[in-house]
Amino acid sequence: MKRHLMGVVAAGLTVALGVSGCGKGSSSSGGSDGKTIKFVAAIYDDNTKPYWDTLIKDFEAKNSGYKVNLEMVDWTQMDAKVKTYVQTKQVPDVLNYNAFSDFARDGLIYQASEVVSPATLSDFTPTFVQQAQYNGAQYGLPFISSARLLFYNKDLFEKAGITDPPATWDAVKTDAQKIKKTGAIGYGLPLGPEESQAEFYSWAMNNGGGWVDASGKWAINQKANVDTLDFLKDLNKSGLTQPNPESTDRKTVFNQFAQGKVGMAIGGPFTKAGFIDPVNKSLNFGVAPLPSKSGAEHNTLGVMDVLAAFKKDGGKNKEAIKKFLDFFYQKENTSKFLTTEGFLPVTKSAGDALSADPYMKQFVDALPTCKFAPTSNPAWSAVAGAVKQDLGTAAANEDPKKVLDKIQETAEKAG
Amino acid sequence: MPDLTVKERGAGTSPASRPSLPLRIGRALTPLLWLGPSLVLIAVVVLWPVIEMIRTSLQKISSTGTTLGYRGGGNYTDLFGEDDLIPVVLRTLLWVGGIVIVTMTLSLALGQLLNARFPGRRVVRWAVIVPWAASVLMTALIWRWMLDNYSGIVNRLLLDLHVIDEPVNWLAHPTQAMFWMMWVAVFVSLPFTSFVILAGLQTIPADVYEAARVDGAGPFRTYFGITLPLLRPAVLIASIINVINVFNSFPIIWAMTGGGPGNKTDTTTTYMYKLAFYDQNVGESGAMAVVNFVLILVMVLLYLRAARWREEIR
Amino acid sequence: MTRRIVLAGVGWLVALAFLVPYLQMFFTALKPERELTASPGTYLPSHWTWSNFIDVWSAAPVWTYLRVSLTVAAVATLVTLACALPAAYYTARNRFRGRGAFLLLVLVTQMFAPTALVIGIYREMVALNLTDTLMSLILVNAAFNLPFCIWILHGYFSSIPKELEEAAFLDGAGRVGALTRVTLPISMPGVVTAVVYTFIAAWNEYIVALTVTASPDRRPLTVGIPSFVTQYQAHWQYLFAASLIAIIPVVILFIFVERYLIGGLTAGSVK
Repeated sequence: MKRHLMGVVAAGLTVALGVSGCGKGSSSSGGSDGKTIKFVAAIYDDNTKPYWDTLIKDFEAKNSGYKVNLEMVDWTQMDAKVKTYVQTKQVPDVLNYNAFSDFARDGLIYQASEVVSPATLSDFTPTFVQQAQYNGAQYGLPFISSARLLFYNKDLFEKAGITDPPATWDAVKTDAQKIKKTGAIGYGLPLGPEESQAEFYSWAMNNGGGWVDASGKWAINQKANVDTLDFLKDLNKSGLTQPNPESTDRKTVFNQFAQGKVGMAIGGPFTKAGFIDPVNKSLNFGVAPLPSKSGAEHNTLGVMDVLAAFKKDGGKNKEAIKKFLDFFYQKENTSKFLTTEGFLPVTKSAGDALSADPYMKQFVDALPTCKFAPTSNPAWSAVAGAVKQDLGTAAANEDPKKVLDKIQETAEKAG
Repeated sequence: MPDLTVKERGAGTSPASRPSLPLRIGRALTPLLWLGPSLVLIAVVVLWPVIEMIRTSLQKISSTGTTLGYRGGGNYTDLFGEDDLIPVVLRTLLWVGGIVIVTMTLSLALGQLLNARFPGRRVVRWAVIVPWAASVLMTALIWRWMLDNYSGIVNRLLLDLHVIDEPVNWLAHPTQAMFWMMWVAVFVSLPFTSFVILAGLQTIPADVYEAARVDGAGPFRTYFGITLPLLRPAVLIASIINVINVFNSFPIIWAMTGGGPGNKTDTTTTYMYKLAFYDQNVGESGAMAVVNFVLILVMVLLYLRAARWREEIR
Repeated sequence: MTRRIVLAGVGWLVALAFLVPYLQMFFTALKPERELTASPGTYLPSHWTWSNFIDVWSAAPVWTYLRVSLTVAAVATLVTLACALPAAYYTARNRFRGRGAFLLLVLVTQMFAPTALVIGIYREMVALNLTDTLMSLILVNAAFNLPFCIWILHGYFSSIPKELEEAAFLDGAGRVGALTRVTLPISMPGVVTAVVYTFIAAWNEYIVALTVTASPDRRPLTVGIPSFVTQYQAHWQYLFAASLIAIIPVVILFIFVERYLIGGLTAGSVK
């Protein structure tokens, strides 16, 4: 008994001693020489890391002495990670994220003009520059963009006897009813905590609703928004959506869509490569503008992710950041990222590359009618957090007005 | 740690014989020598974060995580103003109480079974241990997968057995989700608990049962009259450890529902985490952490009082 | 006789009930990715994709995860043991002022879980310049499992008659000698229990590792494995293949020490 046990302990000890050698070592966290920077990138899909690995290798080869330490973080863990970085003053030099304004408010990040060359700066598309501003100055560096359109299954539409994709909300409902009769789900509604703010806004903006009023004040519980939720709730309660929108994420909806079990759902340019092709490459689907209440005009949800450059070591890191960012924003590097990941351009130079693809072109064409979430408002991240948690419950059993009131309260508290 | 030296001063001396001062100091320091490493580890790694946590609960921290100075009891006022707080606390009590009671009951039976003689007992014991060896997170993930609305095996089985007519989205309905998560929590608590009970059963000498048999006591009376009272220490320690573990359980809820929809399946622990990382309110989250700790302290102390812990420790 | 058959029947059913989720894990790990999304789900893989168990190693740095988990769990266990043994022994053998206070401190410490303190822990690790190190994980796991180990060992030592030790003591072995030569060998079940408890707890720790580590090469299994299912992708087959790779060695460890475990827990529950 004793020998046996000692064997176990000894084995444990050996392993421990053998491996603990690599305790800290490699990450001397850098930065002090001003030539090593840490870049935290978000994982969009399996191709993201290989892309950055190649790009950084290329960058380091062309700029000897400079080094980029890459850290990949999944979107589901990003918020928590970012907060701990800041709280503990361990910020990366460059961060790939979906918000920047509260960093700007707290004086944590550089203005855009400090970290990219004038040539790069002037290459950004004005729509996105506007979204990247805080108090009139540009802080965020537009990174990728995306637009949302209505995906519909052409085979199911034909089976249900529908000729055109719906343009109005009433048409959405009647079409969904027709699709339901064929045994499929009419509309796939992902209102789970994953990205309910995007799904909701895609509907609300086409009813004249939104997050803020004309003066920029929070107007989350405005009537147009309540009506929007009432409509979505009605779809759910009439059995026209998949069960439990409040806990469904996009991955699930598009998985079902790809299997031909959902008639309509709202998706983005990455939806085809990311969700549909892996399941069913030959799905016969079409893409149409987002339906609106009246059917008169159709807005599109625009989404922009940004790069933000953090102040560190009294500005010593600026030079290396600038080198790296200018390198990334070279036309071929940016467009390679966009085509790899299926996103839309934020720079003029990368613009035309994507329009060659007819699928992508529909999204590129929709960009001018894009409306964005108020990401330049520093309270937005708190609002988005509250929306993600609670909004979906309104489509289930909670009262839409009450839910929106609560989110409005959070928004006002956050500033 | 000045307070600790104060506590230890004069330890072990007897007033009758007064040894010389150096000897007395030497004796007083002996316990420190033996307890020192533990005290240092506890002080540095456990007590320090406790103090940090309390400090955080009094600070104003912006959504990016920047500390903007002290704000007194503001975080607590905000926390107590949350509509979700009371349901979350009540749910936590239900969560802890339900899981611990079911776990203890099942474990008493399971311990009895594992203690009985039958062919293949060894293997059964090994099987029961598996959920302890597997990480809680992974066990929670497989249950989530089994309960999946579309591809889950639970729905498939119940459909095939004609128990349900159409797939049930188990984890989307707060009540059903709570039920399943509590079941998973029981499932992962059973191995440890039933092994403690089993260990307790093995300390009961055979002659006690012999005597009971001679007295003509039936199995029912033997169990409630002899076995159970003698298992008291085992039940006590197992239930305290379960209360603490279940109260602080994070991975099960996090992996299976994330506390949603809304806050409908949150316990204080996940709620605390969401306050910090969804609502971007680290200060309020710190206040929740303090409240959380007070809750568990009260629960354990009440339990210990009821169980007359002092007698057990001697 | 019938009693034994009934017991065996019940026993085997119980065993099956405990294994079902892990069998399901195994079958899911063997499914091709396309089949995972089939609804309703399938019981068994239509095509047994054993290659999942090979591909998983390249799909994510599983080997690194394993190495990190093993290092953290092994070293944390040793640290815990090194701290708990003397403390438990001394409190079991001696009455001294502060003994009650110490045992109470241990009990109160047991009530803290890293989950509740994660922000405090993170801030501390920054102050100590230990973020993103294995050392931080080792310290946290060692400290938070210390109370349980002290309890178990305290109970075990108390159950060993003093006289046994006294004999060795009189033979001139000295206190430490008596401990290592007489008491410790008898206490092996207690020690094994403490070791196993700490090792498993450290092996399974999730939230601190999630918050404190950043670099991919310092991610333990618990943090690495869930990343197979992200916002955009769901590789459940890899997730469960990696889970099984993580679970099986621990189950084997348990099978080896199961006997001592019961002995060790006995002591903890007697006292």
